Amino acid sequence: MNPFIKYISGIFTALKALIGGLRVTWRELWRKKVTMQYPENRETLVISDRWRSELHMPHDENNEHACTACGICMNNCPNGTIKVTSNMEETEDGKKKRVLDKYVWDYGTCTFCNLCVITCPSDAIQFNNDFEGAMYDRSKLIRQLNKPGSKLREKEKVEKPAAPAKEAAKPTEAPAKKEEKKEIAPEAKKADEKSSDKENK
Amino acid sequence: MNYNQPLELTGLVSNLHEFFRDNLSPFWATLVEGALVLLALLTLYAVIALALIYIERKITAFFQSRLGPNRLGKYGVIQSIADMIKILIKEIIHIKEVDKFLFYAAPFFVIVSSMLTFGAIPFGQGLQAVDFNIGIVYVLATSSIGIIGVLLAGWSSNNKYSMLGAMRSGAQFISYELSAGFALMTVVVLSGTMQLSEIVESQRYAWNIFNGHILALIAFIIYLISGHAETNRGPFDLPEAEGELTAGYHTEYSGLQFGFFYLAEYLNMFIIASIATTVFLGGWMPIQIKGWDAFNQIMWYIPSYVWFFGKAGFLVFLSLWVRWTFPRMRIDLLLNLEWKYLLPINLINIIVMVVMVLMGWTLSDWFPALFGN
Amino acid sequence: MKDLILNIVPDAVIEEKEKLTVTVEPKQLHPLVKALYSNKELPFDYLISLIGMDWGDKLGVIYLLSSSKDMSREIAIITATEDRENPLLYSITDMYEAAHLNEREVYALLGIRFINNPDMRKFLLAEDWNGYPLRKDYNDDPKLNPITIANKEIVDIAPFIKEDEKGNLVEGTTDIFEEDDYVINIGPQHPSTHGVMHFRTALNGEVIKKIDVHSGYIHRGIEKMAESMTYPQILHLTDRLDYLSASNNRHALCMCVEKAAGIEVPERAQYIRVIMDELNRISSHLLAWAAHCNDLGGTTAFIYGVREREHVLDIFDKTCGGRLIVNYNVIGGVMNDIYPDFQKDVKAFIPYMREKLVEYDNFFTHNPITLNRMINVGNLSYEDAVSYAVTGPAGRGSGWSCDVRIHKPYSLYDKVKFKEIIRTEGDSYARYLNRLDEIEQALQIIEQLVDNIPEGEFKAKTKPIIRLPEGQFYQSVEAGKGEFAVFIESKGDKSPYRIKFRSPSFAAVSAMPIISEGELLTDFIGIGGSMDYVIPDIDR
Repeated sequence: MNPFIKYISGIFTALKALIGGLRVTWRELWRKKVTMQYPENRETLVISDRWRSELHMPHDENNEHACTACGICMNNCPNGTIKVTSNMEETEDGKKKRVLDKYVWDYGTCTFCNLCVITCPSDAIQFNNDFEGAMYDRSKLIRQLNKPGSKLREKEKVEKPAAPAKEAAKPTEAPAKKEEKKEIAPEAKKADEKSSDKENK
Repeated sequence: MNYNQPLELTGLVSNLHEFFRDNLSPFWATLVEGALVLLALLTLYAVIALALIYIERKITAFFQSRLGPNRLGKYGVIQSIADMIKILIKEIIHIKEVDKFLFYAAPFFVIVSSMLTFGAIPFGQGLQAVDFNIGIVYVLATSSIGIIGVLLAGWSSNNKYSMLGAMRSGAQFISYELSAGFALMTVVVLSGTMQLSEIVESQRYAWNIFNGHILALIAFIIYLISGHAETNRGPFDLPEAEGELTAGYHTEYSGLQFGFFYLAEYLNMFIIASIATTVFLGGWMPIQIKGWDAFNQIMWYIPSYVWFFGKAGFLVFLSLWVRWTFPRMRIDLLLNLEWKYLLPINLINIIVMVVMVLMGWTLSDWFPALFGN
Repeated sequence: MKDLILNIVPDAVIEEKEKLTVTVEPKQLHPLVKALYSNKELPFDYLISLIGMDWGDKLGVIYLLSSSKDMSREIAIITATEDRENPLLYSITDMYEAAHLNEREVYALLGIRFINNPDMRKFLLAEDWNGYPLRKDYNDDPKLNPITIANKEIVDIAPFIKEDEKGNLVEGTTDIFEEDDYVINIGPQHPSTHGVMHFRTALNGEVIKKIDVHSGYIHRGIEKMAESMTYPQILHLTDRLDYLSASNNRHALCMCVEKAAGIEVPERAQYIRVIMDELNRISSHLLAWAAHCNDLGGTTAFIYGVREREHVLDIFDKTCGGRLIVNYNVIGGVMNDIYPDFQKDVKAFIPYMREKLVEYDNFFTHNPITLNRMINVGNLSYEDAVSYAVTGPAGRGSGWSCDVRIHKPYSLYDKVKFKEIIRTEGDSYARYLNRLDEIEQALQIIEQLVDNIPEGEFKAKTKPIIRLPEGQFYQSVEAGKGEFAVFIESKGDKSPYRIKFRSPSFAAVSAMPIISEGELLTDFIGIGGSMDYVIPDIDR
């Protein structure tokens, strides 16, 4: 091609492409903006219900939880974020029983890998959606999850196999959680057996 | 034809002038007037810079589908004032092993250069501090002092990044100063004067960009590009190029010294827009059509300084639009653009313009009834 | 193949394991590799991985070689020395450029020095680090390597050890830079190194004369940590390698463990995994595009790219409970079933993304400044791409068909239809376009799968404690940046004896010096963007 024509046509193709770019930003100027105004939109903010923020131990109205202090979560945690301390107590019928004393979780070292939750045989712990975890004091990151004075949920649950009990609880749960539990059930049984094996030894 | 101009400031200015002449000796009157003009200009300088910073942040955000500053005051309008206060009270970090004198002098070169240029701009009817008969040459001369500051800053910082930034800046500025100068000269040929007030006056019925049609339009575009390049703003922001040189020539500056560079950058953007407005878009002159007195009267109700800031604001918006759309040039592309495209086109343009003016091919020559002064 | 090997080294031990494994004496290694490298029919010119090993009694290296012509052919060569005080092996840097940094890494972590490697500085670790972390007898007492805030000067002198003509070993040093070079530090704190990367750059004016790569500022010793963790625990570390390909990385480790432990993954899980991998690839490429544009000075483009990526992250967020570190794949399947909205969200995302790809083209791809800054800049030839082992969109930009999904198909990739995007120019622009085209291909893969996710279990039943049988296991996947591979050596425990990750970014960075040489400093940043490396992937 004639270099002069090439020179001139080069200018025009360049201009055309540049204007194409300008058009994109021009259209963007009038579009709805994507910024979320965070503290103001607290009310309308939707956090996915599977979002992992803080580990917590659900307590029922009688201040009872489901943790048997078996320590599986502690052993499974890759970073030593969970510390479970337990006492041995003697029940009325003379059997020795492990009772949860302190369940301490360190927000600062947790990597939210969910291993503790999926391996827990009694579904005693869960991650909640409370994502506002900023703290002024580092010591506040280390938390005791069992409430003072709380105890293990008694009832027939201990004697019954774990799975049917959960099955009964299912319909009331959110659909997302349902699936989580289904997965846990078979593993939980095995883990239960294993932990009892350990105790026997 | 005299139109009613209720909001114009010419009356106030001449009243003040007479008041001082009547009450003070000529020496003191000149001194006080000078001080007042200086004060007014400095205030305007700061206010425009702050407004521009706010506007840029807001418009940039809109281009990028964000909201921009919106926390401080309604729509965040106080944000840049808060930023100014912050920058004023920030510590100036003293760096070891810099060339102290040059290091501290550099920001002043930059800011003084932009202030000198700023003083010569006609903001409105009668609102011009100095009106040289070589106004355009003066503007070109003073605005190029700034490069000395940039070079000094880069050299004296004792920092390799700053040094590279300054060197790029030097090459860039010298190249684009040529184009900017030639583009303005094209208009000087067209208007036959270098005095800014006369250039504005000559555009009463036909802005230069229309009067000189194609050629003036080419000159206008070239001036916008080279002016944009002179202000070191994207896509020509190579001297600072935050991606590669961290902050280029002002990497080592902090606090108010950095503030000077920052302020000057925004003001230069405005100055380029103002000069383009004055020279190509009729300056503060309202839109007027020969013979339509009623229409002209309505246009004159809008004061001249509003016209001026409106036109300049439009050009500033163009500059922001370009800046936030295009990626950064590379130094060789930048010089290519100047020496292989802008400058040759410009040179041909100026020659053709001379021929055009001599042959009487301008709009005002063709249709004197409509566009002639 | 066996004949060829036995021809060169008659007493080589050849085993048919998962891969053809050849064990040779250190002296015989170089001739063997040379023969494989220059084999006419099928040259083994692609060094996938160079794995330093400590077997207790022996220190050695596993070379994992493959051919650029046929990536499905792989061979593992093992060599080891009994000398723990001064272990010496022969370098293969004269054939594989990729071996340079890999051998330096092995020296830093295991203390094996390589004869004839011209630059035997430690890579990833500081020069004055005491001990070799990946050795089994490593003393991790903090007193040996105290944390100091004292300024450490960088010494640009490289020791080497080489064999002269008579076969004697000679030690010496070379200077990295010439005396009057204008050396500028790009990094470790620099806006455009995409992390804590450090390039010592010698400039000639603004033209780059030489680059010396320093890395390891955020080296976390993931491979060492993994040796004391169970397999499910290691999984959470893979997300933290190349955090932009979290799903893909985790998929690799899961598959490796599943293969070794003989776990059958349900089909539903396979579908979910592949969709997640492709979504992650889109998110990775989008950020790569955005960061590349930002490196070229297009700040607005960065925001646009991140804006679209947010939609992918929202999908992850709902199903996985995480956005960047998704933590989704587990051994035997995936952690949760897909969220009820998942299919709807994904199907809404596909047309949205296509529309935006057109916008990207108008906005950036045809821009004359972009073209000038990318075309014919940072040229990586086919030979260099293979020699430096640069895979992924960057390798395919140089005309090398290196998509693991095609050559070593895993999971469902042999069932879905998609095109391998190959360009032969080898410049920044080819790599740039490859990424945008791969987003489109990923969308097509997702389209084929999203409506056909079969019913069933999303996770296979696994034992509570997973032990792998004794042996060596490999698995490669195509991550966002290239071939990501996992190597596990197991002694039958619940944690690996040695685990090694092959990171694509490592290769990309090792190629930076050659492709940036002679380019302007400005372009160096743009080339970095086009190679798209992620630092945590290098500093494992």
